[in-house]
Amino acid sequence: MFIQTEATADPASLKFLPGRQVLAEGTLQIRDREAAARSPLAVKLFNVDGVAALSFGADTIIITKSGGDWQHLKPALLGVIMEHFMSGAPVVLEPIKAIGEVSSEAQAMVATVKEALRLVIDPELGYNIVDLGLVYDVAIEDGGVANITMTTTTRGCPATNYLKDGARDAAWSVVGVEFVDVKLTYEPPWTPEMMSVEAKRHLGIADGDGW
Amino acid sequence: MPAARRPAPLQQKKNAIVLGATLSRWTMSYFAAALIAFLAAELLMTLGYGYPSAPVESASTLVLVHLVVLGWLSLLMCGALFQFVPVLVARALYSDSLPLPTLVCLIVGLAALLLGFLQMDGFVSTVFAFFPAAAALLAIGFGLALWNLGRTLWAARPLPLPARFVVVGLCSLAATVTFGIIFTLVLRGVTDNPHLADVVANGVPLHAIAGLGGWLTFTAMGVSYRLLAMFMLAPDLDSSRSRAGFYSGTAALAVAIGGGVAAICFAASLTLALLAAGLLGLCALVLYGADMLRLYRARKRRVIELNSRMAAFAMAGLAASVILIVALAALGFFAQHVAATAFLVAFGWLSGLGLAKLYKITAFLTWLECYGPVLGKTATPRVQDLAVERRAIRWFFLYFCAVWAATAALLLEMPMAFQACAGLMLIASLGIIVQLVRIRRLLDVGVAMRLPPGIRMPQLLRCSVQHD
Repeated sequence: MFIQTEATADPASLKFLPGRQVLAEGTLQIRDREAAARSPLAVKLFNVDGVAALSFGADTIIITKSGGDWQHLKPALLGVIMEHFMSGAPVVLEPIKAIGEVSSEAQAMVATVKEALRLVIDPELGYNIVDLGLVYDVAIEDGGVANITMTTTTRGCPATNYLKDGARDAAWSVVGVEFVDVKLTYEPPWTPEMMSVEAKRHLGIADGDGW
Repeated sequence: MPAARRPAPLQQKKNAIVLGATLSRWTMSYFAAALIAFLAAELLMTLGYGYPSAPVESASTLVLVHLVVLGWLSLLMCGALFQFVPVLVARALYSDSLPLPTLVCLIVGLAALLLGFLQMDGFVSTVFAFFPAAAALLAIGFGLALWNLGRTLWAARPLPLPARFVVVGLCSLAATVTFGIIFTLVLRGVTDNPHLADVVANGVPLHAIAGLGGWLTFTAMGVSYRLLAMFMLAPDLDSSRSRAGFYSGTAALAVAIGGGVAAICFAASLTLALLAAGLLGLCALVLYGADMLRLYRARKRRVIELNSRMAAFAMAGLAASVILIVALAALGFFAQHVAATAFLVAFGWLSGLGLAKLYKITAFLTWLECYGPVLGKTATPRVQDLAVERRAIRWFFLYFCAVWAATAALLLEMPMAFQACAGLMLIASLGIIVQLVRIRRLLDVGVAMRLPPGIRMPQLLRCSVQHD
């Protein structure tokens, strides 16, 4: 097994490419040790001193450090990742969608909010932000609070604020949603691989490995 | 961002202010002023004004050159940078209020400079000292632009590669303006410093290299790395090859400008300095060309838009300029045909790229202005829906063909043929401008989507933040 590493725009984060599937679908961001319980791999990585946060993608693991030098951290992290994949253990204990105690009512509202977000298009690509993979997460909390985590195709995109506010307004239009919180993130960075099959087909993009 | 609660009219107003940071409201005014200068220059060339009907060093040629380089290309570049430097560094522009006084200073400064040349030619008979006024106004105008863009870039360190190209381009702009001020001071008799007098006597090539090569070409190269990647869905390039290109280009400009001035002041060989700079510059351009090829090949969007296709034509113009310069220098004809090569650089490469990107940027800014505020509230058109590419493409083809034919006419020393080609360039440019006006007036957007409730027709010359 050969694990590649790539620098990211943030010097505190390093991308690891184990050369095999990490998540079957979606992305998973783990910001602390407590949240890592859902993933055996995350638990082991958090046991390495200096690991602050993790982000799992289709075939990537982005590790953010709290301190220390990559030169010292990297061998330990590579060892953990390799050992995990060689053992055949799952990356997450259960499908991401089933994680957490989500009521069927909230699940239905998540689906409705996502449908509403399809009204928001990326102006340049001309396709809705849900199928483009720009919406990383939609969660509904008690009291009709909608938490949306999203990104843009490129950092510094001039349409960023419009997209963020458009997502907020679209979510607001859903009956039962009383509060909307839209968070913008660039971890993990968006790649064309995050698009749905329909979006790729619409834009004439072949399936591939991101960039 | 704190959770937002509905109904919230106050929060919507607050958002409109935040949104304004993403839209450079005077960029369209820069573009409009630049296009007027562009059309004026093409009209003058069509009428046989300046080179090749007059000598290269004549006042009429100087009018033409500065109308193109300052009026068209520099205003276009400044307007584009006020919008896109924030994109390159993902940070707001330092000041949204400085671009307007900057534009006023640059336009009035350009007018004074052109009147100064006409005065030199005896065409204008007043005794008003146009050159010092032009030098002061242009120095203030470009100084404001440098301050605004420089502060934006400084705050965003460490800079990504495209932004570093822009930094070097801005340094070259400062050098170009400094040369212009030195020319004015010496020619007006304000100073008789022998070194400065030598710079005036021998430094015109350095002034041109700093302006066309450093300010305009190097900045355009940097911006193209980011814009093409954005528009074609290609990965951002920051490989060792890209960095090598950046360093050799920077070294080329440093050797040409710094080394050139030193050679003039210390009576060393200017030719040697320019030769060394030329080799470094060649290396930078070859590496840049290889990067652009990689960008086009690695694009995810297989069917690319008109602006990206036409940018490839402009880059072919740059490649042709390099080949022409090398071939003419090798054959010993460069001095004789320097005007033809400068023409190809200015119109084939810089203007071609400028027009291609203008077609895209105009649609993008218009979309942001009209449809950004209603995103999520109603269905909106795509940026592509604001333009009809099949109508514009014929004008772009005519433009590039006319430029290449005009270059050939200059090389073959056929002034009448050159005038005819300049006329075709003028017609093509008018055709492209009509398309830009159609985009701005939303004429090609379906009626159902054209003006959502609360959105008004955008102004031609200014972007404004709209909200319902």
